[in-house]
Amino acid sequence: MAGLSLQSVKKRFGETEVIGGVDLDVADGEFVVFVGPSGCGKSTLLRMIAGLERTSDGRILIGGRDVTDEDPAKRGIAMVFQTYALYPHMTVATNMGFPLEMTRRPKEEIDRKVAEAAKILHLEAYLGRKPRELSGGQRQRVAIGRAIVRQPGVFLFDEPLSNLDAELRVQMRIEIARLHQELGTTMIYVTHDQIEAMTLAGRIVVLRAGRIEQVGAPLELYEDPDNSFVAGFIGSPRMNFVPATVTAVEDGRAVVAAPEAGLTGMAVTTRGQPPKLGTSVSLGIRPEHFVPAKGAAGTLSGKISLVERLGGVTYGHVLLASGSMITVESREADRFEIGKTEIFGLQRAYLFGADGIRL
Amino acid sequence: MKNTTLAFAFVSPALLFLLAVLGWPLVQAAILSFQDVGVIGSEGHFIGLGNYATILGDAGFWRALGRSVVWVLSNALVQTLLALAAALILNQKFPGVRIARTWIILTWIVPTVVVVIIWRWLLSPSGGMINPLLIQAGVIERPVGFFATREGAMTTLIMINSWRWFPFTTLMMLAGLTRIPGDLYEAARIDGAGTFQRFKRITWPLLQPTLMVLGVVGTLLSFNVFDVIWLLTAGGPSGATQTLPVLIYETAFKGYRLSEAATISVLTSILLMGFAFLTTRAMTAAEADR
Amino acid sequence: MRRTFGQSLSLYGGVLVIALAIGLPFWWVLTGSIKLPKEIIQRVPTMVPHSFTLQHFEKLLQASDFPIYLFNSMVVALFSTAFTVLLALPAAYAFFRMEFPGRNALYKTILLAYAFPGVVVLIPLYGLFAKVGLIDSPVALVIVNVAFALPFSIWMMRSFLATVPREIEEAAIVDGAPTTTILVRILMPLIAPGIASVAIFAFISSWTEFLFASVLIVSDVRRTIPVGFAGIIGQYQIDWGLLLAGATAAIIPVVALFALVGRWFVAGLTDGAVK
Repeated sequence: MAGLSLQSVKKRFGETEVIGGVDLDVADGEFVVFVGPSGCGKSTLLRMIAGLERTSDGRILIGGRDVTDEDPAKRGIAMVFQTYALYPHMTVATNMGFPLEMTRRPKEEIDRKVAEAAKILHLEAYLGRKPRELSGGQRQRVAIGRAIVRQPGVFLFDEPLSNLDAELRVQMRIEIARLHQELGTTMIYVTHDQIEAMTLAGRIVVLRAGRIEQVGAPLELYEDPDNSFVAGFIGSPRMNFVPATVTAVEDGRAVVAAPEAGLTGMAVTTRGQPPKLGTSVSLGIRPEHFVPAKGAAGTLSGKISLVERLGGVTYGHVLLASGSMITVESREADRFEIGKTEIFGLQRAYLFGADGIRL
Repeated sequence: MKNTTLAFAFVSPALLFLLAVLGWPLVQAAILSFQDVGVIGSEGHFIGLGNYATILGDAGFWRALGRSVVWVLSNALVQTLLALAAALILNQKFPGVRIARTWIILTWIVPTVVVVIIWRWLLSPSGGMINPLLIQAGVIERPVGFFATREGAMTTLIMINSWRWFPFTTLMMLAGLTRIPGDLYEAARIDGAGTFQRFKRITWPLLQPTLMVLGVVGTLLSFNVFDVIWLLTAGGPSGATQTLPVLIYETAFKGYRLSEAATISVLTSILLMGFAFLTTRAMTAAEADR
Repeated sequence: MRRTFGQSLSLYGGVLVIALAIGLPFWWVLTGSIKLPKEIIQRVPTMVPHSFTLQHFEKLLQASDFPIYLFNSMVVALFSTAFTVLLALPAAYAFFRMEFPGRNALYKTILLAYAFPGVVVLIPLYGLFAKVGLIDSPVALVIVNVAFALPFSIWMMRSFLATVPREIEEAAIVDGAPTTTILVRILMPLIAPGIASVAIFAFISSWTEFLFASVLIVSDVRRTIPVGFAGIIGQYQIDWGLLLAGATAAIIPVVALFALVGRWFVAGLTDGAVK
């Protein structure tokens, strides 16, 4: 068991910097999820922690020990790969015992640990099989088993569920969460799927272009995003952004409006001093934060152009007078009528500056 | 880093071996070409560029070079056509296609000497199968000696060598063909392209990289062919099939002019390396254009 | 997709032409080897043998040195194969996965050596072998065969290594396996078909090699099939029955080998060409 510390870690491929100075402290036993769009460097960062990519600059500490230049095998980590990376020619038992065999442990110990891991993962019946005789979910469990037997200080998961179908993915997600509860080991988990991030993480690290955008508990990121990128990335469907101007400051709150988008005065509490009158801002409203117009703090009007009915919820895609589209969520299946112009009330909203920083 | 050491430990046995068996003799050949060694094992003296003057002034060398060019080009043409046709057929699905794909290479895996026996027998005017077949088909009136005339000998050799090598070329082309996604053909079908259109607009352009690689490798490989020619005609009749490899062999081991043979070897190597260098550069440029 | 009648006709017509072009000569040799001499040289040749005799094979085994040639060829081919695989595998892995200065330049140079004319190094090699006393020794043939099979073998082995997903190697690294263990325990079992392909290629190269065997081997009892056989052809009176029997006997070992692992070899050849 061990914590993890990244200290201004950088990675360059030739001239291009793919990880640009990442600082992060992960406490022992924490479940941290790296999330971000493809190409944000989350997998590279994980592979650097694993030692599969060399760190160009900065230091990596695992359990307080500097492992920046250490071999992957000596870092006290175990990794679960997206493609499972099981050894196709070995049985499940040999696959799981392989890391122990590499450290020349006695055979009884290997057998015992493999049996223990197999029990945790319900793989006892499959120990004699080859990977190709297993289903996707079972292969994934073997890969996890191979990681467990090493009793690593830190588990690394590289998009482990993205090769599974939707149903299995949910099932395995629950299993990984259970595993974390049982083992209590530090886990670092990379995904591009924000639902996986929200459900599994103790803390989420949102990455963009090789830099950390925000670190925090799932609900913290949802409720209190630092910038428009995080606000847009966390939450589904994504947050709507409407360009607006500050028209007044009342009771320390900024009142914004955008007549061309049908937005009338909406008062928003800002983090610091409200911006000056006339400042161009971006108003962020989550699809689930629309309410009936009557009595609402502010309103937004537009024409309903498309309706998606999912059963439990319904999404109306609304064309604003300014030409941009927003998404509005409703619990009522027949809430929206295509072609009708409507006024929507705003319950909550966020303000972002022109540079995307939350105001 | 210790990984580099290990990498060199992995590479160096093969590398040193090749250096000793191919690289060093090449240097030796170059040294020999500046001397006047006759019979193998005798001492030689440095005579500068004398051998080069002799060889470059020798009409026999230029004739052999010309025959090598004819040999390479004809082989390339015949083999490419045969292999393309065979590859297109083997790229289809039909019962037994896997067996056909494996065993088509039969002509390539048997010793050349067997190929030689097969064709000498089949083409022999007495007892061979080909003459009676051709007479029956009305192509010829009486048995002919395929190696008797200059043109006949060259043509027959080219056909036999192509028979031996086209299956190998076929498999290489098949590799290029299987790399073309099947979706493309289905899309083209839906767009209304016929069989010929699909070949012209999809297969042919997408096969270009494969054909270019085959062109280079095939040229070098067929340039080097020695045993088929030597065993069937020994360069004859009256030198009509004496390509450069045959000339080198004869000069060294029949004419006992070792240094001159080395000189021809060096000139040949320069020629081939120049060819390989220029074509690979052109190919890299073509790839960059894509 | 269904073929039209015309398409089917041209497809199967083409298959038939290929099958006949390749198979018929071999069929004639095989059947010829069991025909009586007078049927072999008959003016109108027979497709199916009308006579049966093993006299050519008896003569081949008893009156000629063919069994010795066969044995020599076998020994040289087996040793050449073993050394080619042994040298090619680590080199291919290093070129494929490991980083070292000059890697690409070296790899290209080695590939160039594949198409290098053998006759060019024949003369100096003869001198070198004479100096170290390897003339007329099968060792010299093994050395030459390995050298000429090696470049293509490295190339082929490398493309087989490329079929193993990177993540499997990475998993082994994380599991603590050293490079040599990864090669032996993980990669070798996974590319067994590739190793077999390279072995077949090396075997066939050696089995068919003529030029060096004709120059480097002097005494009759050390000759390999291609050279020894060529000697039989050169004799004054051509005994077709004997030659056809010999040809059949020379074909059988490679055909047997190919029947076992030929599928992999062809796959290796075609997969390799893709890279």
